[in-house]
Amino acid sequence: MKGHVAQLNPKYMPYIPIFGVFLVICLFLPYIFIQNEGISKSGINLVMDTLHLMRSEGANSKVYLVISLLVVPAVLSLVFSLSTIFIKRKQIVHLSCIAFVICVISAIVLLLISKKTLDASEILSVKFLIKYLSIGYWMFMIVSLLGLITSMKAAKINPGYIVLTSMSALWLLPLAWVLMISFRAEIGSFTSYFWPKEFTLDNYKVLLTDTSQFYFAKWYANTLLVATCSCIITTIIVLSTAYTLSRIRFKGRRAFMNLALVLGMFPPFMSMIAVYYILKGLGFTQSLVALILVYSGGAALGYYIVKGFFDTIPKALDEAAYIDGANKWHVFTRITIPLSKPVIIFTILISFISPWGDFIFARVIMGDNYDNYTVALGLFTMLDRANIAAWYTKFAAGAVLISIPIAILFICFQKYYVEGLSGSVKG
Amino acid sequence: MRSDRKVNRLLGYGKVFREGDGLTKISFFIMGLSNLCRGQIVKGLLYLILEISFIAYFIKFGFTNLIGLVTLGTQEQSKVFNKVTGIFDFTQGDNSMFMLLAGVTTLFVIAFFAIVWHASINSALITQKLKKMGKNIPGIGDDIMSLFDSNIHKLLLFIPIVGLILFTIVPLVYMILMAFTNYNQSHQPPGHLFTWVGLENFRIMLMSKDTIAHTFWPVLGWTMIWAVFSTFTCYFMGMFLAMLINMKGIRFKGIWRTVFVMTMAVPAFVSLLVLRVVLAPQGALNVLLQELGFISNSLPFFTDVMWARVTVIAVNLWVGLPSSMLITTGILMNIPSELYESAKIDGAGPVKSFMKITWPYMFFVTTPYLITTFIFNINNFNAIYFLTGGGPATLEYFKGAGKTDLLVTWLYSLTVNSWDYCYAATIGIMIFAISATLSLIVYRRSGAYRNEEGFQ
Repeated sequence: MKGHVAQLNPKYMPYIPIFGVFLVICLFLPYIFIQNEGISKSGINLVMDTLHLMRSEGANSKVYLVISLLVVPAVLSLVFSLSTIFIKRKQIVHLSCIAFVICVISAIVLLLISKKTLDASEILSVKFLIKYLSIGYWMFMIVSLLGLITSMKAAKINPGYIVLTSMSALWLLPLAWVLMISFRAEIGSFTSYFWPKEFTLDNYKVLLTDTSQFYFAKWYANTLLVATCSCIITTIIVLSTAYTLSRIRFKGRRAFMNLALVLGMFPPFMSMIAVYYILKGLGFTQSLVALILVYSGGAALGYYIVKGFFDTIPKALDEAAYIDGANKWHVFTRITIPLSKPVIIFTILISFISPWGDFIFARVIMGDNYDNYTVALGLFTMLDRANIAAWYTKFAAGAVLISIPIAILFICFQKYYVEGLSGSVKG
Repeated sequence: MRSDRKVNRLLGYGKVFREGDGLTKISFFIMGLSNLCRGQIVKGLLYLILEISFIAYFIKFGFTNLIGLVTLGTQEQSKVFNKVTGIFDFTQGDNSMFMLLAGVTTLFVIAFFAIVWHASINSALITQKLKKMGKNIPGIGDDIMSLFDSNIHKLLLFIPIVGLILFTIVPLVYMILMAFTNYNQSHQPPGHLFTWVGLENFRIMLMSKDTIAHTFWPVLGWTMIWAVFSTFTCYFMGMFLAMLINMKGIRFKGIWRTVFVMTMAVPAFVSLLVLRVVLAPQGALNVLLQELGFISNSLPFFTDVMWARVTVIAVNLWVGLPSSMLITTGILMNIPSELYESAKIDGAGPVKSFMKITWPYMFFVTTPYLITTFIFNINNFNAIYFLTGGGPATLEYFKGAGKTDLLVTWLYSLTVNSWDYCYAATIGIMIFAISATLSLIVYRRSGAYRNEEGFQ
């Protein structure tokens, strides 16, 4: 029976061939339109010009691209979409999906290489700019997208994949770029071209071995030390505070909670300078100990999430333990903490990762003691005006080196992070 | 009610005085006497030592510090021409900043001692009553044991509170007080003194015709606009993405989520610095676009005011989308799917089921998160500083404030670049006022605050 295949959506089937035909029509519409010069070339025109060039000047491989990228996908889509009229099978619809995907990809690629190929082959008399692309091209792009969506819907594939893919590409782009730059051989911050001419591992080598100005490995060690110590101290403080507030109704409890709320509303830098002077008075400036103290000092304010979790542990457990002769300390160490693994991991994760990314406090406390810098501060210094020319690519290498461990940590413990956050949101 | 409690406390001291016998009465003045005489030797000695050290401290430093707090220095550093050596001699003047700090420290020491005194009075009365009733008086060993049980809050909260006081409260009080002085660029110790000016800074910043007032209100306005846009773009895009990944037909949900989580796993400042370089006038993006033929001149991402503002919001969306997506995903998964199925049976389309099922639930649950994020964005130093440094700079604004400066970044530049600490402190207090108002609205409304006991 017509259109009655279980895995196809018959509502969209008739539209597929329409888009296929439309696509071929687009080839005849003006692809490039330059008003001032009066040039109007359609896709087919371009193909003809290219063939002409090939015949007169011999084969020029780049120019082949124009032909294949314009004509081949369009023809493919036409073939497959037309065949959906006759062969109502899942495989054909899938093939037309693929054909349309190729169309979309070639439209994007055309966008990217038009300037290069057209300028090089001198088919046009002027330099090419994207704004010269005209209705033929844009209709090609739009029709192929619509065709893709329609055939996906007909094949009962969720067209949301298109959005997901494009968004993922957009989000990963900067990261991929940093990775690429970290392997670039040419130093210097701003180049007049995009793709590196040479790739090398030199940046990593210099970063890790050259300690004359920036001692990267030591920064790494510094930050590791600071992160570990502040992580331990913070976790202890947060757990103690949260347990006390959750379990014990002592006098001044409400007052403490309100105080914590109020203190949390002050911007952190208000106390930055004051803390610096206090530490100076105690003789601790430009030292990593000062940094550790600053990071973990105010930790008591961050009890909210852990306390919320402790609140969900039934008090009946505590009371059973009291009957068995335990005191509150035993309950804390032997019952509450083992039961709270997710939220403890969350706290450890957060307090370990944040010193890696902090810049403000490190800047204020360290001043210009390069050796005692943390990685964040060091990387920032690499990009200031004095250093950027020489250190740009090393900055990229450093950025990669610092991102990888944190990314791994994050991905491994992603589950706990989400649990902790949604726990706080649910209240 | 509150005044009743205060009166009760005063009456309390009077009551203790009357109820106490001779020893307890004397303990009001010589701390620890009651404990010593009734058998709590270690405890009594501790109280006594504390009292003696406090009196010593007060005589040696405390008194001068308090006076210094009030005057903030009377003698400026001056130079006297020394005829013998032929150069100017500098006589050491008062350092206003140290005096302020010392004064604040002394205030806290006094407060600390008051608490200790209060504890010693109570302890004196308790030991007296215990002795009268013939009960056992706890020795120091028993006291330590109780630290692990009935008094465990004292043990567990000791270090947190010490850390809090040292690193949060004292600096904060110090900075708040600084807002009432004129500690700015022209009054830098040790060369110059600064002094109390009361509410003058607030008046200048809010109501005068000075440049600084012309800076404050626009910066405040931009801060609010920025907070609204950055919060809501991240929120809605995150929700959209979460719903997209959560849709039925999408496979490999975990992989899609991990892709976005990876951008979150890279430390924010790294991504921001990278993007700053990428979007610079000769940065990678502009070069790429020119190479491809999109544009002939660089796009002014950071140099034009409107462009800069839109760019920071867009970049913040890039940075903040993954965490918003994670949170909404967690919540979305809690909505029972039966609701959607029954809605489908009733003929509801995707839009309707979103408006009637997803959105009300989501909004209700994430309201505290929204407001927390809003307040976070008001103070979002990193997102602005690493991208634009607050720029583009303009002459209309006071000393180095730029068109994308938030209140916090302006505070930072006032502190670090132009040393106008008093103005920085004033701004800090304003930020606090705004955040406090918003937070109070949230926490009063949110069920968690009210239903805390409900869980138990």
